[in-house]
Amino acid sequence: MTEKVEYWVKIPFGPIHPGLEEPEKFILTLDGERIINVDVKLGYNLRGIQWIGLRRNYVQIMYLAERMCGICSFSHNHTYTRAVEEAAGIEVPERAEYIRVIVGELERIHSHLLNLGVLAHDIGYDTVLHLTWLAREKVMDTLEAVSGNRVNYSMVTIGGVRRDIDEKRKRIILDAMKYYREVLPQMEDFFLQDPTIEARFRDVAVINRRVAVEQGAVGPTGRGSGLKDDARWSERLGVYPDLGIKPVMPQDVTGERPHGDVFDRAAVRIGEIKQSIELIEHALDQMPDGKIKVFAKDNILVAKLRNLVDGEGIGRYEAPRGELVHYVRGKKGSDKPPRWKPREPTFPNLFAVAKGVIGDQLADFVVAVASIDPCLSCTDRVAVMEDRGRKRVLTERDLIKASIKKTREINPDIRGDPTPVGLGCSR
Amino acid sequence: MNVVSEFVYPVAGLIGLYAFVSFASLLWEGIDRKLVARMQRRVGPPLIQPFYDFLKMASKETIIPNTANFMFRASPVLALATAIALLAYTPMGFSPILAKKGDVIVFIYLLALISFFKIVGAISSGSPYAKIGAAREATLMVSREPAMMLALFTIMWRLGKLGISKPFSMGVFYVHNIWQVGTPMSMVGAVILLYVFIVWLASEIEAGYFNIPDAEEEIAEGLLVEYSGRYLALLKLTKSLKTYISASLVVAIFFPWGIAGYFGLAGLSADVVNLLFHTLKVFILLFAVMSVFRASTGRLQITKAVNFLWKNVFVAALVGSLLIAMEVIA
Amino acid sequence: MEEQGKLNVTEDVTEAFAQELLNEFPSASVEVRENKLGRKRVWIRVDRKEYKALMRHLRSLDPEAHYSIGIEQDMGDHLGFTSHLLLTWRGEALSVLVEVKAPKDDPRIDDISEIFPIALQFEREGMEMVGIDFEGAPDKRRLFLPEDFPEGIYPLRLDDKGVSEDMVKNAGHPYYLKGGSKR
Repeated sequence: MTEKVEYWVKIPFGPIHPGLEEPEKFILTLDGERIINVDVKLGYNLRGIQWIGLRRNYVQIMYLAERMCGICSFSHNHTYTRAVEEAAGIEVPERAEYIRVIVGELERIHSHLLNLGVLAHDIGYDTVLHLTWLAREKVMDTLEAVSGNRVNYSMVTIGGVRRDIDEKRKRIILDAMKYYREVLPQMEDFFLQDPTIEARFRDVAVINRRVAVEQGAVGPTGRGSGLKDDARWSERLGVYPDLGIKPVMPQDVTGERPHGDVFDRAAVRIGEIKQSIELIEHALDQMPDGKIKVFAKDNILVAKLRNLVDGEGIGRYEAPRGELVHYVRGKKGSDKPPRWKPREPTFPNLFAVAKGVIGDQLADFVVAVASIDPCLSCTDRVAVMEDRGRKRVLTERDLIKASIKKTREINPDIRGDPTPVGLGCSR
Repeated sequence: MNVVSEFVYPVAGLIGLYAFVSFASLLWEGIDRKLVARMQRRVGPPLIQPFYDFLKMASKETIIPNTANFMFRASPVLALATAIALLAYTPMGFSPILAKKGDVIVFIYLLALISFFKIVGAISSGSPYAKIGAAREATLMVSREPAMMLALFTIMWRLGKLGISKPFSMGVFYVHNIWQVGTPMSMVGAVILLYVFIVWLASEIEAGYFNIPDAEEEIAEGLLVEYSGRYLALLKLTKSLKTYISASLVVAIFFPWGIAGYFGLAGLSADVVNLLFHTLKVFILLFAVMSVFRASTGRLQITKAVNFLWKNVFVAALVGSLLIAMEVIA
Repeated sequence: MEEQGKLNVTEDVTEAFAQELLNEFPSASVEVRENKLGRKRVWIRVDRKEYKALMRHLRSLDPEAHYSIGIEQDMGDHLGFTSHLLLTWRGEALSVLVEVKAPKDDPRIDDISEIFPIALQFEREGMEMVGIDFEGAPDKRRLFLPEDFPEGIYPLRLDDKGVSEDMVKNAGHPYYLKGGSKR
């Protein structure tokens, strides 16, 4: 920005830091406590997923896609499936579309509650963290009843969904929605009227509209700055238009013009939780009967996709963090797609907030990063250790062996040995 | 020049006090964590968890960064030594052990010296995060002490006018207290100064709004980032002692009444009973200022906290002091 | 909102957009494809000489165009770069994809970060993953790969410049890795 002055200090923030959930390195140039410049370096969680994807078939990539991230795993699964369905020309039965909406919105509630708690924790307000995460238990129990897992519920398959929602599960979901209708006004009170939260969140890490457009901010980050875009709405995805979706803007929740600060993003998330509750209730009402899958078994699916896919497909969906895009290019006659590329919504948001946090204090940096809800688990893990000048690459077995050795040093009585036996898949 | 009465008794008393106060302050920390957890609808750790923590930290490996110099290792010990020395000047239900004329200055000096040693130890570790934490601690210290000093000196001076043998000594509160003055103006002034002291206490123990420099792991990893093992155990013990001592000051100024008189005791047993009652009062005060405050607010930014301390608290101290002092001057 | 009103106009708007673009850039190939849900996307293939001019034209049609993703790929003897844009034109949210190719022995493509600043980050990823050289990019550092990753090896290429089999170390998963490095 201006000329470099001698007392400016460059400190690295991350990759390991108690305030960050995922490893990313920011190199902050500081003038006392004021941030002058932020440089982003990624790649600390790089796992080579696209490289693995080049060597797998359609269904294996679907499993890979949903394990890219824990909290938005349904979104990745869903978006990849949409991309393949567009490339292959598969039409999905309507009941499956409604179930996708229901599980997607449940995931959105889950993720937003988690992020609201993390935001409060980063300003030291632990009470709100514990109460919000207590509310999150209910949606996790619901998801466990519906899909069998509290996170990473693999509900979607190419051509439909895997499991059905019958009467018992429908009642469980409706009970959870009733619980949330009671809890949500209290949460709104916390976040919108509390003086500490207002003092810490208002006018902090402001991303103004021009920067948001240039850097391509998506999701609550973009909407908090005034960009009216929601991928479910602009894409007219599936049955969302029938359920009455529209983008939630901060003025709907706070009543003021959007400032583009952390408070607005938190307000957008609260508004989206409200919208999700309504969407789920409407979807449960309107759900028709019928089939839930086009192809009954996975191996039929792979065999059919070999011939159906010829060309490219794009899937766009609104994950809890923003617009998620997957691209799939397939070739007729082969069951391994030559290219698959996912793009997670945190990628442009990070660069947008790196520009937006300039001029603020160091204390606000963690709050700013937490407000875009970083979920960077779409990169690779390569561990290189420098051992007196020699570089070695550690594999999974090395890491497990080192960890067992350290545990035995601390407590020699530990029984149990996680070393994988045999050869082949260790998990 | 009796060796026993001038040397042995004070030293023995100091060691006994140190043992008692360490025990009581760590016990309070356990009670505080349990109460805050209950307020947050959690179960919370067992009441003697801080003792377990202290023993565990003292037995863990101490890692010293190679950019640190000798002050890094010396300052936790020095900070603890200062806290122990401070115990000899703290009013805890009875007149302090080494109370002499004018020792309020020693009290304030030692209290600031503890923070000073923490800052120096953090800076000598060589970590940039510790440097930021140390800068915050220094800023906060400079902002909170003036209001307290002004209020304390005014009260001392006013009480000195009531006629005591050792003016400006920490034992003065047990001879007369501020509520005994009786006039309405001094009552109002005393209430304002109570507010000043309570905010000072919250910022001294760094709870709630003021949990800014110490152990602020979310933001810039505070002062304690490079300490581990025994040094961390010593620093945490120092923090607990400082909490107890600061609260003792507030209790001694505003609520100094003891109960030994009701039982007709005198001498050492009166002191012990007064000490226990004083500890109970300290716990109640800390419940209001530390637990409830901590559970119901988050932390402020350093600029807002400093603003608050200068604009609200210092001005209130000025107003309260003027009210108390004016009736003697006018 | 006014979804009902929009749905009737969709047919015309996307086709009209494609037609106007063809008039402006006759040498590009513009195609409108519709998926089974009724969503239309405009797929444009353009030569690398006209790439920057096309992007500038698209930006002028909607100053708040949203650049979603830049996909670099290895297409045999060409390297391709596909960008997805979301344009709001005549009240309609259009999904536009622009593809540009460069031969492997001359992998230079123009850099568009003046038009869409976020495209710089996707270009950095493209440069390190398949080896496209974006001319004029203000920042050509590595984004994801570590600094000591060997030069000249592009992980997402399918030919000899990709990650060779002995650079791969894993816990023994046998799928599709002929050999690998036995540990």
